[in-house]
Amino acid sequence: MQALQSHIFAVREYLSPVLKESKFKEHGRITPEEFVAAGDFLTYKFPVWTWEKGDASKTREYLPSDKQYLVTRGVPCLRRATSLAYTDADEDAERLLSFAEGPTASGEADEWVETHAGRKATQDSAGNAGTIDDIPDLDGEKDGDAVTRGLAGLSVSGNQSASAEVPEVTPDLDDIPDMEEEDLEDGDEATAAITAKPVALVPATLKPGVVNQADALNPNLLQVRTYDVMISYDKYYQTPRVWLIGFDENGTPLTPTQIFQDISADHANKTVTIEPFIHSASLQAASVHPCKHASVMKKVIERMNNSVVEEQLAHRKLSSSTSGKDSKEKEGKKKWPFSRKSSGTGKDVVPQAGGEDEEVEGMRVDFYLVVFLKFIASIVPTIEVDSTTSF
Amino acid sequence: MPIVQFAPFTSLVQPSFWHELTRLKIDVLKLSDDAVPIRGSYTTGRSVVDRESGQEIALGCNLSVGSESFEKDHKHDRLGSAHASGTVKNYNTIEDFKAADKTALFNGEADKIWNQIVTTRDTSLLTHFLLITFADLKKYKYYYWFAFPAFVSKPAWEIDEAGWTSASTEYTPEALASIYTQHRNIDAPSFFLVRSSGAEVTVGTVESLEEFYSQTPDSPITVGFIDPSANPTNPGWPLRNLLAYLHALYPTKTHSVRVLCWRDAEIPSTGNWKSKFGTVSVPNTESVEGATTKPSAVGWEKNPQGKLGPRVADLAPMMDPTRLANQAV
Repeated sequence: MQALQSHIFAVREYLSPVLKESKFKEHGRITPEEFVAAGDFLTYKFPVWTWEKGDASKTREYLPSDKQYLVTRGVPCLRRATSLAYTDADEDAERLLSFAEGPTASGEADEWVETHAGRKATQDSAGNAGTIDDIPDLDGEKDGDAVTRGLAGLSVSGNQSASAEVPEVTPDLDDIPDMEEEDLEDGDEATAAITAKPVALVPATLKPGVVNQADALNPNLLQVRTYDVMISYDKYYQTPRVWLIGFDENGTPLTPTQIFQDISADHANKTVTIEPFIHSASLQAASVHPCKHASVMKKVIERMNNSVVEEQLAHRKLSSSTSGKDSKEKEGKKKWPFSRKSSGTGKDVVPQAGGEDEEVEGMRVDFYLVVFLKFIASIVPTIEVDSTTSF
Repeated sequence: MPIVQFAPFTSLVQPSFWHELTRLKIDVLKLSDDAVPIRGSYTTGRSVVDRESGQEIALGCNLSVGSESFEKDHKHDRLGSAHASGTVKNYNTIEDFKAADKTALFNGEADKIWNQIVTTRDTSLLTHFLLITFADLKKYKYYYWFAFPAFVSKPAWEIDEAGWTSASTEYTPEALASIYTQHRNIDAPSFFLVRSSGAEVTVGTVESLEEFYSQTPDSPITVGFIDPSANPTNPGWPLRNLLAYLHALYPTKTHSVRVLCWRDAEIPSTGNWKSKFGTVSVPNTESVEGATTKPSAVGWEKNPQGKLGPRVADLAPMMDPTRLANQAV
């Protein structure tokens, strides 16, 4: 069933034409060239990201052979998304925090709520329109409950290695050959004790309501998982696509069920599925299905672009001697293109910006992947894919 | 003075490594269980700030292998990362795996490292690992055990009273940035030497030590290495063999060694350098001839239970077609 579906996707991707014309501001989609440009920018600004060749037999000819997909390894994930117990209100707050830096005007909060609302609407309409049909979906609450139960069991068993309740997800310890050889080497005074499970202080700010079962049992324990995150280009949807491979704190690969713990409840089992990674002959990875990416990116880019245009205009007015664009670039990392000016609400300036669009460049397509990562961060809230805020 | 405690490597095996091993076993190795050379890589120690508690949490000291580990001439040009050579030995049956003479295998690898040190003075084998595996291909289960041989110094290295301090207390930000840029241009970036004259710093390879310090023969040696540990008080495993190397080849110069634990993958924009600096020394250094005999080595990796034993990777959930089909519906 799923294999068949993957094949259909592959054929469909093969048949669909390569997008030639840049339209990233109009509908959030990008061309392969723009994907490479945005990827180059990402790897330049944030060297944790690198280009990879991938499997030679899976090379996409519309991308340079040495720039098939982007990868960053060992992305930390301190907590399970299921432990965050998001409500809609929280999610809005999260989005506001992740985009706007520094003091924010209250008008912006509305805009972000708007974005979120818009996204909900597109999801629904897309579902009605029938494009959602080809996504493997859960039907009915019964299955959903089963998954929730499975996850609840997992978070307990994850702490205490083996648990009889979920034998199929934890490696059966009986299978490990009984060959511990403590006499293989003597204790060594110069070897530091391994801290495989880092101990942190009890997060005092946690509300009792959001503490999940695992935390309640083991308040001092943080299960630091790491993820390898890949971004490939999806020719059919003309957007980047994210793939995840996870490891637990002992370096053991995570099972699909465990990976779903790190994906916000809105998306786990719906838009995130385990599929063969398109640049590898055999590797399976969790992937965020890209069917919604373009519409979400369009919304986000619209806001970003308005603010960037606004900022560039402001620069132009302030310093007519030095070119606004140049000085912005010189300021480098600190000056984020979408850090809003608190003066003036966006709505007032937009009409002006529209009139002078020929003069100011607006958001460059290079930033596409940086913005895209912020969007992905909302799907996987506890995986720190968005390293861009820490710089 | 406290003894220097080194943070041991923990292995991180990418699923692609098992895929590649499976392919190799079926198509190339077949029934042979000869050792195969592979490569691993490690990066500068990473830590992450917990958004909820605000604490900085050091991540594991990982040595990772992936599908590219089998490529002979794979160049991994990522910033702040280094190579480790290794040997993988895959057994045909679980009985063979259990019965393997681990001590002999381990000593064999340790001898390789030591011979490389005393004969060629090459640092490329200093971080060398051994991996023994048994691949249960039908069940998608992989049993494995890593060893990272490191020589034990008797007496042990000690750190002076100042302990491990931030590198920015020893070097100016400009000097550190200069080290960063120069260090990217040298051939073997895992280990390097630092020489400072006034405000200027120069970076060189460890192999060229005598030449490098020929101007100032009496000044203490300063070595740097890509430190996979992010722990504030424990330098990473690679330093162990580097110190053994220096002590074996330059016993008169290494009563006291200045160590730069390089932990910055890029120049920090906040000026907050993560690299550490410390001065380590060996108390009452023995006679010169004592230093050239091979010391004993340690380094078998412990399993998640903290015992010396093999680990198991169960890839059935990600590889078994039936399990995948169940999960997808």
